[in-house]
Order: sequence, then C-alpha cells, then structure tokens
Amino acid sequence: MKSLMLVLSCMLLAFACSKEKTFDEREVNLISPEKISGFDPINASDRYSGNETGKVYEGLFEFHPLKRPYELMPNLAEALPVVSADGLTYLFKIRKGVLFHDSPAFKDGVGRELKASDIVYSIKRLADPKLNAKGWWLLDDRLVGLNEWRTKHSTTDKTNYEEEIEGLRKIDEYTVQMKLKKPYPQFLYALAMPYTFIVAREAVEHFGKEFLNYPVGTGAFVLPKFEQTSMITYVRNPKFRDKFYPSEGEEGDDKLGLLADAGKKIPLVDKINVHIVVESQPKWLSFMKAKDDLLEVKDVNIQQTINSKKELKDEHKEKGIRLIMKPMLDVTYYAFNHEEPIFKNRKLRQAMNLAFDRATYNRLFHENTAFEAHGPVPPGLGGQTKEFKNPYIKYDLEQAKKLLAEAGFPGGKGLPTIVVQTRSDTISRQQIEFFEKCMEKIGINIDAGTNTWPELVNKVSKKQHQMYTMAWGADYPDAENFLGLLYCPNQSPGSNGANYCNPEFDAIYKQATTMQESPERTTLYEKLNEMVALDAPWILGFHRTDIYLAQAWLKNFKHMEFNHSQFQYLNVDLEVKKQLSKKF
Amino acid sequence: MIKYIIRRLLYLIPVLLGVSFIIFVLFNLVSGDPTAVLLGKNATAKQMAELREQLGLNKPLLDQYFDVVKSAFTFNFGYSWATKQEISHMILQGAYPSLCLSVPAFVIATILSLIISLVVAFYRGKGIDLFVRIMCIAGVSVSALAYILFFQYFFAYKLGWFEISGFEYGFPDFIPFVALPAIIFILLSLGPDVRFFRTVILDEIYQDYVRTARAKGLSEVVILLKHVLRNALIPIITYVVIQIPSLILGALLLENFFSIPGLGGITLNALNSSDFPVIKAMAILSSVLYILLSLLTDVLYTFADPRVKLK
Repeated sequence: MKSLMLVLSCMLLAFACSKEKTFDEREVNLISPEKISGFDPINASDRYSGNETGKVYEGLFEFHPLKRPYELMPNLAEALPVVSADGLTYLFKIRKGVLFHDSPAFKDGVGRELKASDIVYSIKRLADPKLNAKGWWLLDDRLVGLNEWRTKHSTTDKTNYEEEIEGLRKIDEYTVQMKLKKPYPQFLYALAMPYTFIVAREAVEHFGKEFLNYPVGTGAFVLPKFEQTSMITYVRNPKFRDKFYPSEGEEGDDKLGLLADAGKKIPLVDKINVHIVVESQPKWLSFMKAKDDLLEVKDVNIQQTINSKKELKDEHKEKGIRLIMKPMLDVTYYAFNHEEPIFKNRKLRQAMNLAFDRATYNRLFHENTAFEAHGPVPPGLGGQTKEFKNPYIKYDLEQAKKLLAEAGFPGGKGLPTIVVQTRSDTISRQQIEFFEKCMEKIGINIDAGTNTWPELVNKVSKKQHQMYTMAWGADYPDAENFLGLLYCPNQSPGSNGANYCNPEFDAIYKQATTMQESPERTTLYEKLNEMVALDAPWILGFHRTDIYLAQAWLKNFKHMEFNHSQFQYLNVDLEVKKQLSKKF
Repeated sequence: MIKYIIRRLLYLIPVLLGVSFIIFVLFNLVSGDPTAVLLGKNATAKQMAELREQLGLNKPLLDQYFDVVKSAFTFNFGYSWATKQEISHMILQGAYPSLCLSVPAFVIATILSLIISLVVAFYRGKGIDLFVRIMCIAGVSVSALAYILFFQYFFAYKLGWFEISGFEYGFPDFIPFVALPAIIFILLSLGPDVRFFRTVILDEIYQDYVRTARAKGLSEVVILLKHVLRNALIPIITYVVIQIPSLILGALLLENFFSIPGLGGITLNALNSSDFPVIKAMAILSSVLYILLSLLTDVLYTFADPRVKLK
C-alpha cells in the first residue's frame, strides 16, 4: 500500500511539474544521437560535433542546401576565389559587415566585424602544434610555409601567430591570399568543413582552455555557454547579416515546397533545441510524441518506419510524417591486411568476395535499404558509373570454390583460421557471425575478434590484424576521399588500414589527385574504382541509405551529406503543427 | 573511536598508492596507444607521435607513475583528452543528475525493502510470504533492459504520465525527468534487497533471545522492530552502504535510456574514446569512496550494536 502511495505521489509531482505544450514558439527540435565534445571547430571531427559547430560558426564556403550534385557557394567569402593560372595561388575576398556574436571576450562585450586576419588566425590555429587539432590532416603539407611554421613551433614555448607565412597572408582588411605547394583540387571543400570555420582570436585568448565551451562565431545562432546536458538550446543571432534563403535548387524542389521561402532572410526560426538522445527507443518515442521534428532512423527503427516496398507505413502517413530516403556517400567493407602473405593471393580474395551473400545480409541488417558496392566509390560521385558491374560481388559459391582451388586452397584446405576484427556491440557480432557462415560454405574458417572501438582502431593502426571490418563516410564529395583508402602511402596508421600497395593504382591516384574536376579526372577515378573491384583488396560491402522522418510542419529539410550549415535554413509551420499535434 | 577513524583514514595513503599503481599498469603500460582514437580516422604516424609527446606518454615511466599518484592525492585530474573539458567540472556536472536520480530512488528502495521484509518475516511461511518470494524471483529474473523498455513505452509514451527522456537542472524541474527512471530503479532493487533482508531477518528470528522475548510475552511487532531489526542491522548496513559508490558512478542503463547526463554516460564515453584521464579519475574516485564508506560502515556498526568497539 505504501509503495503504491509513493508511486502515486511521484506521478502527481511529475504531473505538477510537467510543462504544457505550446505552439507559439518558432522553434525546431532536433536530436543528436551522440554527445557533443565541445565547440572548437578544429576538433569537430565527427558528424554530430560538426553539425553543432555549424550552428554557431561559419566557414568561407558552404555547400548549397538544395543543389545536387553538391555545389559550393560563398559564405564568409564574398565570392569564389580568384585562382592563378597554375592553380596554386588563391585570392579570397571576405564579406564585409559580418559580425561576431556578442561576448565578454570583446571590448564592451560587443561582437566586432570579421576581418581577413581572422581567417589567417583560424587556419594557423588549425596548424598550431600545441593544439594538435583533429582536422590538421586537411591542410597537412598543403600551404607554402605552414608545415615549416608548425614544425618550428613544436619546440618553442609559445606559438607565434604574428609570424608571416608565405602561403597564408592577409593582403588587406578584407583580402586573404593562400598559396598551395602543389595542386589541391579539394581545397575549397576543405574551406567548407567545420575544421576551418572562423573563430575570433579574442575569444580564444579570453576563454583559454574553456574556449570550447563558449562558442563565439558569426553564425545564424548563438549559444552563450555550452554545458554537457541533455539539451542544447541555440537562439537566433539578432545581429546576423542579411543572408537569404536560396531561390534555386534541384529539379523537383519547387514541388516539394523547398523553394517556398526563397529570398527570405534567414534564420527562419527563433530557436533550435538539440536533444542528446543515445538510445533508439527514446529517440523513436520522442519523435512519435511530436517532441522532435526530425529523426534519423537507424537499426531497429527501420522496420517500424517502412514496409516491404520501402514505403512509409500508413500509420505514419496519417500523421503527416514525411519519409526521406537517400543513398549515403559511404562504403562498408571487410579489409584484408595485405602484409599477411596469404592475402597476396588475388584468387583467394576474389573467392571470398564471391562467397559473401550480400542479398541476405542486406535483408537481415539493412532491411534491403542498402546498395551493393561495386567499388569503393559510392554512386553520386564521379568515379562510379552505373554501367560498371563488379563480377566478384555476385553470390556464386561454385565460382568461389573454383577460384579457391585455383588459389591453392581446394575446399579451404591449407588455409589457417582467419581472424576478423570487429566491434563488440550486438549488431557487429551478429554481422560477423553471418560472415563466418558465408565463408564456412566454401571451407574457410573465420574467427571473430571482438573489440571496443579504441581496441579496434589500435589493432588496425598497428597492423595487428588479419582482417577487419569498417565503414567510411565521405569528408567531402570527391571520389579521392574513398580511393585514398587504398593508396599505399596512406597505409596504417593512416586511412589505408588494408595496407594495400599497388604501384599501378598509386601512380594513377597520384596523377588524378592533382587534377581539377574534369572529364579526364573522372575517367581516371573510374579506372581506379574498377581496378579495386577486380583486384579485390577488400571484400566490398554496401553503400548504405540515410533514412529520415520529418514532421509535416518541418519545412526546408532536404537530405544533405554535409549538413553543417543546413540548420539555418529550416522553418516550421506553426498552424500545421497545432492541427496535427492532436494526432500524436 | 577518533583514533580508529584517523588510523583508517591514514590507510587511504597505501591504498591510493596501490590503486595508482594498478591504474598506471592498466592504462600506461598494458593499454594500447590512445592517439589513433583521439586523432580520428585521418591520423598520421607523425601526428600520433606528436600527440604522444604532448600527452606525456613518452615521459619516463616513473614520471608517468608520479603523475597518476599526484592526481590521486590532489584530485586534480586535469583535462579530458577527448572532450578537452576540465575533468573535475565534468564530474561535478555529471554527479548532480546521477544523484538526483539515484539518491531518492535508493533511499525509497531501501526503506520499502525493509518494510516488506519485516512484513513477510512476520507472516513467514504464509501466503503473503510465498507471494513476495515469487515476485522477488520473478523480478530479478527479468532483465533491467526489459523493465526500462516497457515502462518507457507504456507509462511515458502510451499513457504520457512521464517525460520520455531528458533532464533539467534545478529543483523541482528535474522531478518529471527522474520520476520514471527512479520508479524503475526502485522496482529493480526490490527483488534482491527484499530477498537479502528477509533472509537476514529470518536468521535472527530463530535465535534464542527471540524465543525468550516471546516467552516474556512481548508482542511479535515489538520483537521484530525492537530486537530482531536491531540485531539484523549489521549485515543490512554492510549491504546498503557498499552500494553507495555505484549510485554516485551512475546508473548507466537508466541514464542512457532516459538521456540523463550523469556520470555513467561520462564513464562509458571515456571508455569508448580512450580518454584515460577521465577513466583514471573515475577509478580513483570510486576507490576513495569505497574506503570512506567502509569506514562509515564500521562507525555505523557501533551505533547498531553497542558490543562493537572500534579500537
């Protein structure tokens, strides 16, 4: 009886304290499935930290929120840069009248105007050896004099930001010049990534080690102080410059209502609440209770979202919920360690590719939403053509057995048990069990090595593995970002964890990566993609699909792989929200 | 007793030295290189070497051990490698939601369990005793995750009685967010607690002094509350106090499912990102807490049983 009374009093207290739902606030409620590790752009390495950083900070460029294929547009830069004939010197004009957020770091607490020196400072900060930024790889060995500056200050007590660097110079208050050591076709993409977002030196110096908790950017939203809580609330930047919603997009965007706000000043909402929710069930329930406006659907929730025809289930349609499904720019794979003598045998690698039952795997683990990878480059990027079909990704046990025999291991005889390193979570274990069964059918014994994420990364970076499984997501929309995973100089601890070295591949890759975007470069990328498919340095997996659910009242959401700055364009229709909320 | 307490507090020194040594061996000698995880997917060998230098991983081992010892004795744990936040601030910030959830739930669960145990001890062998025993066994047989999933779905989503997830700082704002996880915590604790308390109380009930009390004509209620409970308190205190460190370290599953930004999540994140300073800080803190609470247990014994003298 007493326990019942206690439970009841708890409930009553909870009722008393619950907040009533209101529909007068123009706010967007989003979910971040991971904790945010602070707001320092130079360390915004994961997708979710990048998304949060992008709400308060900005870069020189950003990806167009509507146009596809992805297109860069100037953001803090006034226009695209003037590039010298040799493609090495870039002149950037900075937009005038852009103000930093108000902060105690500035004189009288009022944000000052962004100047060219801020661009120079922010890039130098990315290179500062004392900060050891996660994003340094982006400009490592790219700008003239920057690596030398970094090396010099790795032994000094204090990094000297006043020191001039030939490849990174302020020409006047609104002009910056950057000089590359060698052609870097992805350079402008680098300047659209969160790592190169612009910070104010005063804020960095004022807040010191606490800088990551006090974001002071130029972005559309303001966050006075970041705390590791369950919700981050951003409010509209009252001093945000005149920036407008784009008036053109991809074909069909108009019909989807994505151009309804064309020409309107952004941001279109007053507030963004980001709820940090790690587990699948509360994410799903919060969205279904209309507490959140957008949901990235993963794992167990896919079944609850779509039917066998990959269409949104009727019960969600009735509530006006929209389904957004788009292929991701990613690839999953099982990598062989090519330093292991057995994996130098191409026929063995090809046989293992043929024995992997991708169709069943896709049904079991991706609800048939993923696409079989014919090469490392995902569809949508130059380098992957619809015409090319990888002959080794079909499920053909007879052919696999034949190749295995030709490889010198008939029925798997003579092959040692192969250990595949993977993560220790439930789904990874189930996936590796499935893989084991596939290989067993041609006589290959697989053992699973399960690891925490740090253990797995360590084994791969120290080459302490025979095989491992991994997924790679694009940093920017260029096939180079995927093909580099098999470039010999990138071998462990770099991104080529397979330690694959193919001189022919390397020579073409080296040539392609210095070329600007062109049909010739695309042809080289295609060649590289096909070389990988035929040489089988990995067992290719899938290109997965991003699945989102959006409430009917959320406007202007379009799937975007690099969505750091997308949130400033979102809008809500309060009338629709008021009407439809009754259904939840 | 004061001398005893001081002596026990002094024991902290060798224990902390031992804990520091174990932590040092685990994280500075045995564990792998954390730099690959800390630098992310594009780490280069050069950058990893630079970071190792910066994190002090290239220092002589004795110096590294001394750093661990220093942090154990000063409680200055420095900054997190992964989030770059000040660790003491992270812990303080995470301790508040963890305590908001676990302290009231723990107190209620303990009191409720004691009451239920006394009632079933009073009615031992009867229907209610059998019913409670069956419920306890059923309760501990179902996994905590099943309770969490069902209660969150049914009471928070379907009935809308509670918040689905989240947390707000300050009283009473946090109550709607911790009410449901606290109820689950209580239900999860009742099974093992009642079973243990019932056994301890029944052990006492068959002692000679209880028979004497009954022979003297004391009522069963007086016997239970005045004599049996007091004598059963020593194992109960041991059992209860020893659970306190785990309350402060957070109820990981509950915190994760209800998005409560407590210490459980901080520890898990640190493990997943090779954030050794945070893991070390949590290990040192739990050791200190454990020692202090075992001292508290000893002191409480003297109140529960006057025959116990601390020398």
